[in-house]
Amino acid sequence: MSKRQLAMVMDLNKCIGCQTCTVACKTQWTNRNGREYMYWNNVETYPGEGYPKKWMELGGGFDAAGDLQPGIIPNIEADYGVPWDYNYDSLAEQNLLSDDPTPACRPDQSPTWGPNWDEDQGAGNFPNDNYFFYLPRICNHCSNPGCLSACPRDAIFKREEDGVVLVDLDRCQGYRYCIAGCPYKKIYFNPKISKSEKCILCFPRIEQGLPPACAQSCVGRIRFVGFLDDEESQVYKLVHKYKVAIPLRPDYGTQPNVYYIPPTEAPPKFDSEGRIIEGSSRVPIEELEKLFGPAVHDAIKTIKAEKEKRKKTGESELMDILIAYQHKDMFRLDHNYYVEVAKKKGMKPMPLVDERYVAGKYTKPSSISHFKVHA
Amino acid sequence: MRGVVQVAAALSLAASVMLAGTVVEAVKVKSLDGIKCGADLIRKNAKFTKVAVYPQTTVQMNDKKANELNKDAKAKLVDVAAFTDGKSVALIVRWPDKTKDVFDCYCSDKYPDGFAVQFASDASNPEKLPYIGMGSDGRPVAIYIRKAYGTIYEPNGDGNVEFQVNPHNVNAFGEDLKKFEKEVEKRGLKTYQRAFVSEGFRSMTEIKDDSAKFRTDMHYVEKNGGMWGGLVVRPIEDEYAKPAKGEYAVAVAVWDGKELQRDGLKRLSGWIAVKLPGGDHAQLEKVVTEQVQGDVNKGQELAMTNCASCHRWKGAEMAPKYMAPDLSNIGGQATAAYIKESIVDPNAVIVPGYNRNAHPNFSWYMVDENGNRTSAMPPFNYLKPEEINDLTAYMQTLKAEVEK
Repeated sequence: MSKRQLAMVMDLNKCIGCQTCTVACKTQWTNRNGREYMYWNNVETYPGEGYPKKWMELGGGFDAAGDLQPGIIPNIEADYGVPWDYNYDSLAEQNLLSDDPTPACRPDQSPTWGPNWDEDQGAGNFPNDNYFFYLPRICNHCSNPGCLSACPRDAIFKREEDGVVLVDLDRCQGYRYCIAGCPYKKIYFNPKISKSEKCILCFPRIEQGLPPACAQSCVGRIRFVGFLDDEESQVYKLVHKYKVAIPLRPDYGTQPNVYYIPPTEAPPKFDSEGRIIEGSSRVPIEELEKLFGPAVHDAIKTIKAEKEKRKKTGESELMDILIAYQHKDMFRLDHNYYVEVAKKKGMKPMPLVDERYVAGKYTKPSSISHFKVHA
Repeated sequence: MRGVVQVAAALSLAASVMLAGTVVEAVKVKSLDGIKCGADLIRKNAKFTKVAVYPQTTVQMNDKKANELNKDAKAKLVDVAAFTDGKSVALIVRWPDKTKDVFDCYCSDKYPDGFAVQFASDASNPEKLPYIGMGSDGRPVAIYIRKAYGTIYEPNGDGNVEFQVNPHNVNAFGEDLKKFEKEVEKRGLKTYQRAFVSEGFRSMTEIKDDSAKFRTDMHYVEKNGGMWGGLVVRPIEDEYAKPAKGEYAVAVAVWDGKELQRDGLKRLSGWIAVKLPGGDHAQLEKVVTEQVQGDVNKGQELAMTNCASCHRWKGAEMAPKYMAPDLSNIGGQATAAYIKESIVDPNAVIVPGYNRNAHPNFSWYMVDENGNRTSAMPPFNYLKPEEINDLTAYMQTLKAEVEK
């Protein structure tokens, strides 16, 4: 357990599956040097095969006694999907008269699987009770990480200052037990350098006052970032005060630090005549319980109650938070804290590039100086 | 009938013991400069000793498929020879492997074949050699590893970040872009050969400051059903290992990519005495060849009453799974001196074991505020000397069968 823990909350009611987060992450970190197939951030359709394929069935995590469970390492072609390119060169060079008479942009290989291969398929029968929702996933930066526990070289560590889980690439020898140990399969093998790599929660951005790329780029404003011990932070309020943000698959025993607002807002089902079944919900509660554990019932109850309260009285702090008015309230990155940590280590603090998200337990808003944001 | 089977098993065990050796005589040659696998020098002069390498079963890692494939892994016989030219020492290893597994693909679940040679940094007290599994606290080892990777890109090996960006993000086009890509390749691509120092597994640390001068080679031949050859050349003496009275304590390990082997999932020999020409060397040889004369049946009884409540081995699987080192191959890898030492003084060598977070209910040792470790195993120093002898004799029989 680290001294403090940085956490993220994702509101599944608002994720539209646009993949802007995925692209932001990819262009920032994983478009080169053997990381091409990796998605440190991905958005999958649930129910669906997921990324990598059937990740929930690949083992890892801990049993009730606390013993690390064996797992399976996915295959790039079959489970992740090979990143393919297109036939740009042949398109540019081809002779339209003699070559293929119907030129088209085609993959340069015949892919058989890839992330989001089954996007928007979902489950159920159209139009009566079909449903799906989007599940954005990054590394959970667990308090009890399966990857860290599996590493025979102690190459994975959890940062003391903010609980970010990182791979020490100097120590990593590419044995890949971490991949088997992570029940979320959110740590990847880089075949080009033969080492494991994973989401770093954009710590170099955070230390400079910028939220993670996935969170800042999110057009649905579904992602909140802050410290779990910062009572002013919306992350704290969603996780601890209202208890509506809950971790994914808590039964894996890794104590994740990415929390989800469960999808409560699904349309009702239709009966065989096409009439609305009043009070029904297309997302089966059993599925939500499988994903989020029994805590999902209370979370849903609280969200519904606050929604009613807002309707009746016009007041609800929870609804105000979930509307996500201002990025500066959604992200509290506590810049002064990082400055102090750097000083204590005898390192030069990272220069601040944006002052909007600096507030936190150890950073009062009054310390924000020249860069004023209009409320 | 059961008796017959036991006798047969004992005979086959005896046969494998007779076949396998633990002493290698280094051959003096003029020069080892530029020596490679398959060199005439090796073919004409090498004095090979057959050394048995046993599956490492002390801990079981968490790869489901690999565990399934290695469940009944057998031992292999490896040919080991040594040369010296007065400046350097070369270790030659030759081992059977039906498939040539080279990692040169864009893939996540394949593993290369490979081998490693481990030198005890100091073998001057052969009764207290480092723990065979990558050394132990205060008893370091130097390890040289070569793996059959195609070529590995070493990111930031030289700190040149500007050559690590995506080609699309480089302000270059056409010929300039090609030049950039060539430069990236030139700076990045390396052979997978590494030197490490280690004082027990988990502590293995790569020597990256060029202070370990060494060379490796690795070559596969299809004949005789497939065979790898490998060699490591290093100075006779450096800050990481030196001979004691003309002898090195050396161990070899081999990995089979086909069986998804890597890391601790490998086959490992016991300590081998490598004798340099000349010099007085009988001490280490005595320790690595010692077969304790004792009553194996009595030893087995003693093991069942004293050891089996914590340790597991093939035939004794009552203890909880992660409680203590698995002893299934201790007879193949540990010297008699080590087994005895561990029985009477478990704190002499504390095997670090699993990541302490992986199986938190079973700590193999306690750590005090100064970082000193105390083994969870109580000393069995109250056993009579002949009981310890019998127990050790039994432990020496615990090892996997050698593959035919």
